[in-house]
Amino acid sequence: MQGYGDGGDELAQLLSTMHAIEAACSSIQMHVNPAAAEATILALSQSHHPYKTCQFILENSKVANARFQAAGAVRDAAIREWGFLSSDDRRNLISFCLCFALQHADSHESYVQAKVSSVAAQLIKRGWLDFSADEKEQFFYQIKQATLGTHGLNVQFIGIGIMEYLISEFSPSTSSAMGLPKEFHEQCRRSLELDYLKVFYGWARDASLNVSRKIAGSDSESLEVKVCNAGMCLMLQILTWEFRYNHNGTKSINIFSAGVRNDNVLNNKTECILVQPGPAWHDILISSGDIVWLLNLYAVLRQKFSIERSWIDCPIAVSARKLIVQFCSVTGTIFPSANGSQENYLVQLLSGIILWVEPIDAISKEIESGKSESELLDGCRALLAMATVTTPAVFNSLLKSIRPFGTLTLLSTLMGGVIKVLFSHNNEEETWSWEARDILLDIWTTLLAPLDSSGSGISFPPEGAAAAAHLFDLIVNSELKAASASVYNDDSDSDYLQPSISAMDERLSSYALIARASMDVTVPFLARLFAERVSHLHQGKGISDPTETLEELCSLLLIIGHVLADEGEGETPLIPDSVKRNFSDILEPDKHPVILLSSIIIRFAEQSLDPGLRTSFFSPRLMEAVIWFLSRWSATYLLTREEFNNKNDGSLPGSRHQLQSQDSTKTVAIYFSEYNYGKLVLDAVVRISIITFTAYPGENYLQGLACHQLLHALVRQKNICVHLVALESWRELSNAFANEKMLFMLNASHQRSLAQTLVLSASGLGNSEAANQYVRDVMGHMTKYLVDVSSRNDIRSISEQPDTILSITCLLERLRGAARASEPRTQKSIYEMGLSVLNAILVLLEVYKDESSVVYLLLKFVVVWVDAQITYLEATETATIIGFCMRLLQLYSSHNIGKISLSFSSSLLNDAKTEKYKDLRALLQLLSALCFKDLVDFSSDSIETQGTNVSQVVFYGLHIVTPLISLELLKYPKLCHDYFSLLSHMLEVYPEMVGQLNTEAFSHVMDTLNFGIHHQDSEVVNMCLRALKALASYQYKETAAGKVGLGSHASDPRNPNGGTENRIFGRFLRELLQFLLFEDYSPDLVGSAADALFPLILCEQSLYQMLGNELIERQANPTFRLRLTTALQFLTSANQLTSMLDRVNYQRFRKNLTNFLIEVRGFLQTK
Amino acid sequence: MSDEEHHFESKADAGASKTYPQQAGTIRKNGYIVIKNRPCKVVEVSTSKTGKHGHAKCHFVGIDIFNGKKLEDIVPSSHNCDVPHVTRTDYQLIDISEDGFVSLLTENGNTKDDLKLPTDESLLTQIKDGFAEGKDLVVSVMSSMGEEQICALKDIGPK
Repeated sequence: MQGYGDGGDELAQLLSTMHAIEAACSSIQMHVNPAAAEATILALSQSHHPYKTCQFILENSKVANARFQAAGAVRDAAIREWGFLSSDDRRNLISFCLCFALQHADSHESYVQAKVSSVAAQLIKRGWLDFSADEKEQFFYQIKQATLGTHGLNVQFIGIGIMEYLISEFSPSTSSAMGLPKEFHEQCRRSLELDYLKVFYGWARDASLNVSRKIAGSDSESLEVKVCNAGMCLMLQILTWEFRYNHNGTKSINIFSAGVRNDNVLNNKTECILVQPGPAWHDILISSGDIVWLLNLYAVLRQKFSIERSWIDCPIAVSARKLIVQFCSVTGTIFPSANGSQENYLVQLLSGIILWVEPIDAISKEIESGKSESELLDGCRALLAMATVTTPAVFNSLLKSIRPFGTLTLLSTLMGGVIKVLFSHNNEEETWSWEARDILLDIWTTLLAPLDSSGSGISFPPEGAAAAAHLFDLIVNSELKAASASVYNDDSDSDYLQPSISAMDERLSSYALIARASMDVTVPFLARLFAERVSHLHQGKGISDPTETLEELCSLLLIIGHVLADEGEGETPLIPDSVKRNFSDILEPDKHPVILLSSIIIRFAEQSLDPGLRTSFFSPRLMEAVIWFLSRWSATYLLTREEFNNKNDGSLPGSRHQLQSQDSTKTVAIYFSEYNYGKLVLDAVVRISIITFTAYPGENYLQGLACHQLLHALVRQKNICVHLVALESWRELSNAFANEKMLFMLNASHQRSLAQTLVLSASGLGNSEAANQYVRDVMGHMTKYLVDVSSRNDIRSISEQPDTILSITCLLERLRGAARASEPRTQKSIYEMGLSVLNAILVLLEVYKDESSVVYLLLKFVVVWVDAQITYLEATETATIIGFCMRLLQLYSSHNIGKISLSFSSSLLNDAKTEKYKDLRALLQLLSALCFKDLVDFSSDSIETQGTNVSQVVFYGLHIVTPLISLELLKYPKLCHDYFSLLSHMLEVYPEMVGQLNTEAFSHVMDTLNFGIHHQDSEVVNMCLRALKALASYQYKETAAGKVGLGSHASDPRNPNGGTENRIFGRFLRELLQFLLFEDYSPDLVGSAADALFPLILCEQSLYQMLGNELIERQANPTFRLRLTTALQFLTSANQLTSMLDRVNYQRFRKNLTNFLIEVRGFLQTK
Repeated sequence: MSDEEHHFESKADAGASKTYPQQAGTIRKNGYIVIKNRPCKVVEVSTSKTGKHGHAKCHFVGIDIFNGKKLEDIVPSSHNCDVPHVTRTDYQLIDISEDGFVSLLTENGNTKDDLKLPTDESLLTQIKDGFAEGKDLVVSVMSSMGEEQICALKDIGPK
């Protein structure tokens, strides 16, 4: 660190190194022997104490690249040798970097300056916890002077740059790796946030403020502008800091939650990032009046540059706008509660921002003629930020002090303007109007979504409702225009409804929110539009091409579906609150707008039953929209029970009159209930579904919608099933399904779904006898057919005929569907159904051994059927099933072990592999299902009475299946999942059987467990940990009781021949500790890891002691060493932990482990 | 039930037929289909529509089960396609002749000598090596639409 140049030798040495580095740098640039050049540079950064050489190069070299490399070498060497440097050396290094960066501020090779600045920032962070406050003060004094512009603009710019590097070094997500404990990084961040961040902000603000005065007189390329821009970027960077210590509290550093933001309610409203720096920042951010300055600055920029079109996108304008948007997101405790200071603050901001977005028509015209759109978009983003931090009422009132109308009206006008432009462009993607529309829709969603969920108590201002109604009108009309225009687009993506629904879904739900803000206007409006289109269709029948109207109807059905009903997402959706709240004054159902709208659509849908109208109007696509609407609508409105549940009198009145006098919010529900038109509508829905099966041959997608969505949703509700089974149309459907060839034309998976639906509907029948009979009627012919075919003498020759394959495939799919529908009430008949075809299945498995798709269906049926039945079966029945599964497994393995297939085509070969994998998965599922019998059993007697042992079958199965499962196959996520769930299940239930596995199978199981622990899917890891827990606790309990436990597999620790490596529990203990201490995993796993670790420690106590000591010895730092020792002690002794494997102890150990990890992972894990 | 019966009967005399008609919409991936008069295994089915409000059509990609060539076809989904009758028979391998033909033992004790060794290298060496080592080999012969070919091999092991 001393001066150089005393001796000529040393100088010559330095010069020669410099020349070598310079030569290396230029040869890299010219691609001459780059490997050797890189080696030269690497040698410099890896050499011992290269600082003097590097400084020499930095100060003397004319080659910028060489200076750059020298700076990098300083960084690498200093981070590596930091511990051995004296404190003077450390300080001098940092000072050198700072001075160098600042002194050469006017150099043209700015990247060298940037590199040196970043090295300075990293070194400051490296020494952060060692430096005294005074030492830090010295560095910062230098930086502060530079930042405030004492030494000129160039130096100021570099000074701001150094601060930027500092802040990004201290923010964990952007910091560079230093090989230090994570705890270190966390402490640095905390210290900076609490003690320095606000100060830095002040400097940045002052820097920009000072130069901004001179901006008015300078051009956009001037240094002042550059510095001002840098200052604002720094302010923005500070405002995007993740504030964590804003509550004056001294939170302990928890490495698990580090990186997870825990801002509560506000944050889940949108993706808008909120700025919540806490009360300490009030003086500098709010009362300082910075926003006034900032808005003025931007106004000056606007005026000054308005002659040039491109000014909007110049860096200073962009960062000024970004900073303003960021200011809009400031919220939280920084504002003193309830004195309207936040409102005033936002009004101030809004008064500046409003110029960016108003008047929208003029602005959009300018944009169309070439002006940049970024100002408008940033204006929208600012509004979004404001909407996120306020309630709708406050949001609306913000504008009122500046304009005669509220913010919501502005929003509606704004969106109207944007939509006009959007649709005039005929759906080109990626235009500015597209982006603006999405941001604006986000604002509406932010404002309206909390309103829509019930009981929030937030009200929407009346002005907003009017604005929403107006906007909705505009939206729908534009969407319709777009729909009719798109008819002749030959865009194959939008041919099917589903892709278009999912692409539009987010937008449609926002539309629905807007519509629901003013239901009294929008619902009658939608009804009028729909009726108009329908009558237009009828008038033009046979005269004009209806396609455009059809597309408009599709579009309307989608919109209305979203407005009237929510998506259930697997649960029963309720009638939206806004439907109930509005129209509370309308008691007569025939005047209720929602009823009117629903009825119009249902009547229209019924027209599809007429063959003439069907061929002329109901194209497959329109039918898809109709079915989609019906399923969404009926899930919410049809025969709903929710409205009657809270009736106290118990007697349901039969007369309509009485019902009408009920609470008016229930008008809609009552109208479509069983007491009124519910049953009629249900009948229509069923008939329409049948039509899609019979009148639209080959329309797979449409039929799929009808099967999987519409009918399936209907039978999910018991109260609907009751009415379904009473309907003539439903009987027709089940009759046709059982007996007619027609429905064999459906896609096989649709047949499966239909079978499931029909069997499920049996739950609507009064008693179990009737329900079982119903199932027998539906499925009886099918089982008989299978039995007949399989017992034919010529089965071999006919089995390969395509039509036999087709019908067997279809029947198996149907049986599988029926099996899936097993419920306690129909269990008996479904058991009989399966039982009657067991023999047929074995015959077919033999016959179709080369037809992998049939084999898969056979296995799949057995899996589903066994899975659904096993828990109900009596001992003899279980014995039958177990025997059957045994034969099935034997047969399957005899066909598949040792077989080599080939094909000319590699893709066919791959297909064959995939099919094998699916088969294996099915077998694993079968074994899991069998295992389940020992866990849950509803039968009246124990299965042991029959001498059946489930575990034996399962382990036999495991012997068959494991050789087929390679680690390669476990890369398939689903197979992997099934395999480990079976494994964990089995080891938990029958640990004693593990000892009986042969050595090969046992080591295979252990290898896969080891593989599973390192899997990235935390659920797989969890299952492996459960398996380990089961195994280790079994072993511990057995050996404690003086038994052999796993016997030879575990390799007796007292056996002198077996080293620690041979003992499986030792191996797993090592692995698990390594995993817990040093790897990244989800905090959710700690609980199950604790459960596995505890018995492992007990099994291998001496090894555990040894591993603990190893860990302690590896710690060089005495503080950490002490902390680790104490923590290890606490892990096994705190909370009165004893060596009993009972629930209480497991709980205690879980707590201990969590505390242990919080304590030590911070310094054990490094970055 | 009568329909089922009818369905059943249609196969009794079907041995002669090489292909069967089946609705395009019911043909699934991994099934068979005839494209350009060649028996194929379906590796990809996609559907599209003739115009927005038109009817569905199926787009099949098939791989010729004998020569591995890729073939494609588009059929309206309500129309019928031909589905080939593909059979597989297992024979025990009894000899390999110098000119590349194999001699196979049929179920009724006769020999079948008209099949050539497969051209696929890996299978060819497996058959030759296995046979030379004296293993008991069973070969699977796939046949359809008048063509046949060895498609798989299994070692039933020295008993």
